[in-house]
Amino acid sequence: MSAKNPIDLKQDRRQWLKTSATALGAAVLPLPAAATEALQAEPQGAAPPTTTSPTTTGVEAKSGARFFTPAQHMLVEELSETIIPADNHSGGAKAAKVADFIEQTVRESTDEQQKATWREGLRLIEVMSQHYNGKSFVAASPEEKIAVLQVLSDNEQLTELPEVQFFRELKHLTVRGYYTSKIGIHDELEYKGNRILQEFVGCGDPTPPTT
Amino acid sequence: MAESEVDLSKKYDAVIIGSGAAGGMAAHVLTTHGLKVLMLEAGKKLNIEQELRSMEWPYNNPHRGELPPGSQSLTHNEYTIRRPPYGPGFEKSKNLYSYIGSSDYMKNIVVNERDNPYTGTNYAWVRARCLGGKTNIWGRLALRLSDYDFKAKDRDGFGENWPISYSDIAPYYDKVDLYLGITGVKENLPYLPDSIFQRPTKFTCAEVTLKEGIAKMGRVLTQYRAGVTTDGLKHNKYRSRCYGRGACSRKGGCDIHAAFDSPTGLIYPAMDTGNMTLRTNSIAREITVDPQTGKASGVHFTDSQTMKDYTVRAKVVIVAASTLESARLLLLSKSRLYPNGLANSSGHVGHNFCEHIMGPYVAGQATDLVGKPPTLDDGRPGSFYLTRFRNLAEKHPKFIRGYGFEGGSGSSMFPPGTDNPGFGASFKEEIRKNQGSYIGMGAFGEVLSRYENFVDLDPSVKDKWGIPALRFHYKFGENEHNMAKDMKETAQEMFEAAGFKIIFVSDRVLTEGWSIHELGTARMGDDPKKSVLNQFQQSHDVKNLFVVDGSAFVNASCQNPTWTIMALCWRSCDYLADQMAKNEL
Repeated sequence: MSAKNPIDLKQDRRQWLKTSATALGAAVLPLPAAATEALQAEPQGAAPPTTTSPTTTGVEAKSGARFFTPAQHMLVEELSETIIPADNHSGGAKAAKVADFIEQTVRESTDEQQKATWREGLRLIEVMSQHYNGKSFVAASPEEKIAVLQVLSDNEQLTELPEVQFFRELKHLTVRGYYTSKIGIHDELEYKGNRILQEFVGCGDPTPPTT
Repeated sequence: MAESEVDLSKKYDAVIIGSGAAGGMAAHVLTTHGLKVLMLEAGKKLNIEQELRSMEWPYNNPHRGELPPGSQSLTHNEYTIRRPPYGPGFEKSKNLYSYIGSSDYMKNIVVNERDNPYTGTNYAWVRARCLGGKTNIWGRLALRLSDYDFKAKDRDGFGENWPISYSDIAPYYDKVDLYLGITGVKENLPYLPDSIFQRPTKFTCAEVTLKEGIAKMGRVLTQYRAGVTTDGLKHNKYRSRCYGRGACSRKGGCDIHAAFDSPTGLIYPAMDTGNMTLRTNSIAREITVDPQTGKASGVHFTDSQTMKDYTVRAKVVIVAASTLESARLLLLSKSRLYPNGLANSSGHVGHNFCEHIMGPYVAGQATDLVGKPPTLDDGRPGSFYLTRFRNLAEKHPKFIRGYGFEGGSGSSMFPPGTDNPGFGASFKEEIRKNQGSYIGMGAFGEVLSRYENFVDLDPSVKDKWGIPALRFHYKFGENEHNMAKDMKETAQEMFEAAGFKIIFVSDRVLTEGWSIHELGTARMGDDPKKSVLNQFQQSHDVKNLFVVDGSAFVNASCQNPTWTIMALCWRSCDYLADQMAKNEL
């Protein structure tokens, strides 16, 4: 859709960042993480755990606690499913439990930048969803979800923007998680290897046998 | 046998430093001749039954086959923008590996860069310190050299000829073929001699198309000549024949050892003779010399775990530590008699360093295969090899010597196309439908052997064991860069001739070292002033010292070196045993 009329992300983001700041009564950007949690948790009506602030994540990783809050986990599920959806052929990222793979990868990461990309990215996705769809990403319809990610996909070259960095990271880990899962390998790709077979069949290859 | 149980009080017939293709072959040949041999390996003995997990599904691996957290491998970008040593600047990772160590299947095989620094010009130096060395993870392409390579100087005037001809080494190539097993198809090419092949693998449909497409141009596509036994080896109980199971491209070793690796192919059988003793975790730091005779007397080494120093005596010292480590060890072995390092009266140790340039690549699509039902396309030890065609009958105006292409096609466990733009239903469907239709190939070209390309010892940087680090003075030259441009052009022209849709084509050259084919730092020759070794890889200066790995190469040719390393080593060790019997050493 927007391939013909891609949204100017740099223009647009001024607008949606401003809106979100006003809505939360925040004076300065970027938003504190705790406020983000509130925003993301809202649709489920659950109180956000307050431990997921940037200053405590190191401790969290060591203690084995989860990186994503339950609300964030649900958001990651929906985001990954939007990247690789279920179709007539096979299950999608949600069925392949890609969000669990992403949770483990980010939780165990020793790269603080990667953790920050996810934290900030999930926040910005929510802000964007409010701006474009007037509702949280999780509550949006499949078409509305696609619309949000399409903005980022169309602007994939703007790598200096945190939401674009997040999109690339999201796509990378979703693809990685999906195509290394049982569903990805066996149902989707119908991979034939990694088992004993008598002989590689080839393509009516005229190669003569060696004597 | 535990390290502490190895008898270091007796004098061995031969001590072999290194356990890769060269060290393993030396052990096989010398133990067969009845010599009592001690092998020193710097790294550990891997439990290869657990280490080589060829059949593991990614979803059964704790990190889907990727490196665990806290481990990192160097990227092309990092090799390009940073000079070695690679360690500073990567503090967030406890374990730092060379680029090849990017998966969970390699992490115990390649060294931690932090413990093993090197300095100088940018270089992607891949080192495997463990029993078997890089043969545990090698690419398996097993090619012969010909007189187009051994006598290349006669053809274009550059460099030196080898002190041997193809007829000298051909019987030893045959021995290696029969003892270790190789798959391929006879082509009767004068510049790429045939081996004694076992059952060949077959082409995919895209490969058949390419073979037919380029045949019109007089170019040859042949089955990947892999150092893999497809029919099995009756004389070796450690190795199974290849079952073509797939995921061979994982390259984390072959768990049934159908692909050659030095431990099961050479070392275990050598140990079964009762003539061989192995000591792992033993880092050679100096070859000792008898000041009376000027001959090598043994090896001074450090136990990598206990940090204790030892010396062992032997009648003959055989250096097989890999091209660059062997040069380092010779340079480290300075004495009053040999102030420039051992076997270095010529000043050529560390020089004439050469390898293969790689990077230029083409990727395409056989559009007639889009949407076809998936087939097992990676159930082969390798896909195809496109043989050299430059500077054979005609002379190229821009460069001398030649290059060949290694390629692959078809479905694999992890699909191609995942970095396509977009997302969603169409993104997913495209990956599925296109997965079997891709084909790609990359070139390997000869880097000229030049005296100006060399390594020496860094005056201040030392490794974890206090041994001076190697310093690189090495760059590709004009001939290589001109060749790289041609590689790209011919790659594209051949894919167009085959009717493929070109997806990507590049002449970007990868960092020096990327091919992992370092060669030439102690070259052979008839003239002791211009070479380090004679035609039997015996030092001109020290007659009971042999250097039997890739460092003996006079030029790199464009063929992958492993099979030639082993054939040369076999020939030299036959000579060595003969000389020892005659008391000539």
